[in-house]
Amino acid sequence: MKILKLSFALLLCAIISSCSNDDSGEDLTGQTGELIIKFDNGVGDQDFIFGTTYTKSNNESYQLETLKYLISNITLTDSEGNVYTYPYNDNIFIISEANANNAGEIYVTLNDVDAADYTEISFGIGIDQDRFALGADGQGDFLTTAEEEGMLWSWATGYRFTRLDGTYSSDIATDEALNIHMGSVGTAIDNYREVTLTLPNTVLVREDSSPQIHIVADIALLFDGNTSVSFDEGYSQVHVDETTTGVIANNAMEMFSVHHIHND
Amino acid sequence: MNDFQNIKVIACFLLFAIVFRATAVASEIDPPFKSSSYFDYDCDLCSCSTGSGSFGFGTLNNSNFIGLRYINQSFESRNGVFSNSPVSKETFNTYQLWAQIPVSNKFYVTANLPYQDLNRTFQGDSETINGIGDASVIAWFKLPFYKKDSNFEMKDMEREVSGHSLQFGLGIKLPTGNFEEALADNVNPGFQVGTGSFDGIFSLGYNFGVDKIGVNTILTYYLKGENKNEYQFGNQFSYSAKVYSVFSGERYAVMPFLGLSGDVYNKIKQYNETLSNTEGDIVNTSIGAEVPYKKCILGFSYTLPVSQDLFGGNVKSKNRLSVYLNYAL
Repeated sequence: MKILKLSFALLLCAIISSCSNDDSGEDLTGQTGELIIKFDNGVGDQDFIFGTTYTKSNNESYQLETLKYLISNITLTDSEGNVYTYPYNDNIFIISEANANNAGEIYVTLNDVDAADYTEISFGIGIDQDRFALGADGQGDFLTTAEEEGMLWSWATGYRFTRLDGTYSSDIATDEALNIHMGSVGTAIDNYREVTLTLPNTVLVREDSSPQIHIVADIALLFDGNTSVSFDEGYSQVHVDETTTGVIANNAMEMFSVHHIHND
Repeated sequence: MNDFQNIKVIACFLLFAIVFRATAVASEIDPPFKSSSYFDYDCDLCSCSTGSGSFGFGTLNNSNFIGLRYINQSFESRNGVFSNSPVSKETFNTYQLWAQIPVSNKFYVTANLPYQDLNRTFQGDSETINGIGDASVIAWFKLPFYKKDSNFEMKDMEREVSGHSLQFGLGIKLPTGNFEEALADNVNPGFQVGTGSFDGIFSLGYNFGVDKIGVNTILTYYLKGENKNEYQFGNQFSYSAKVYSVFSGERYAVMPFLGLSGDVYNKIKQYNETLSNTEGDIVNTSIGAEVPYKKCILGFSYTLPVSQDLFGGNVKSKNRLSVYLNYAL
């Protein structure tokens, strides 16, 4: 009987002590770590797959063989409101579905990010006017990369921010060409947009960990976002027109959401 | 204990050792593949909770025993954030040494030590982890009820299947199994042999049994502790009810049963923040039987979920099969 009472007491102790938790404030000064941002393209609740026919508004459907967009100026805001900006020259990325892994995710790896507890991520879609103003020589290696990826019209016109190539069908069209090449046009039209997304959990960037932010991009919202567009009515060929590129740029802002994060 | 009984005990242990050895050999193949791209929830409903209340802590007639139980569970998990994301299949084999050991008339202890052998296949790749799982020990106080008119002799006999009784259990689940943080982040679901935490177990059971029929019910609450990776599985409530009857032949009896059981899980916490889509609930039905023969009890059950919503619908429990061979103490 005594042993039994003793074991019950021990048990209670173990339970109580296992529940205690005291976080000591850690000093993160000078510490940096890796952060992975995963871009995952989808259409509604479906994973995006090349060649698959997706339906949209106006009884139209489309399938794509190219899906690329530019992301730049990634910044992270920590729990105390401090903003970390990734080094300017490296802070531009081409997100190409063709480079996705077998789970359909495109990885962007940021190195030497300041260690902090991040609660918010911001990034731009496309290239801002400041970066364009640096001139062709000021673009570094990225100009070549963008050229190779077909994300540049000409230097004077500038970058394509989105590149969707494929075909569409509607009540009056069957397998017509679909090309959504939205971008700023020189300095005349500025279609650069920024989005800010709140992280569902705090991302802990540390020297010895490699947290991940899983971002879903819903391609359907590019056509049926804030503004619904019709391929038949001028949106099957989006290139340098001020109106159509502006509508697509605004819709692109709504595509992105953070699905979840991982702290390793 | 006579010599014959001793031999049977030794035979039971030998059987256990053989099964143990066989699984250890079988699982040395299949190097783990890198699975960093998968969806990434994990839970402890799968491998770690096989000693849980919804599985039952003992036998139908609440007798004392030592035995070996095998549990096979199947799951399907969606590995991605989309509804057409590919599905992986998980098969969990658990070999448990389990026992109900009497301490005194009113006190007994149940214990179980699992060996986990977990397999997961995804797009043609196979991954296996195995090892000793989380052991648990529960101390029970049994409160039998007597009929008012029952005579004095009956009271002292403490017959197990002769009426109503309540059981109060207080226990602990130990982190004897290995918890790998990398798995917690990358592999779905609960693909762990252990949770790495000390958990408190609080249990209330009600049994009723007369000659030909009996009812076992049990409610269990698991207070989950945080492990060294600042990872804390969600607290869990389990319930189980079984109705059985006894068909006695000349030399042996068969006790078929029908059961209803379930689990409700709270959200997982990591670094003191709750993770969304990590809660869930499941209701199962089960059918099975126990066949006592002399001092041995052979039991089996087949369990099928009737409703479930686990981890945002990303994890689907399929069926589970349990077979056990106990030696009555």
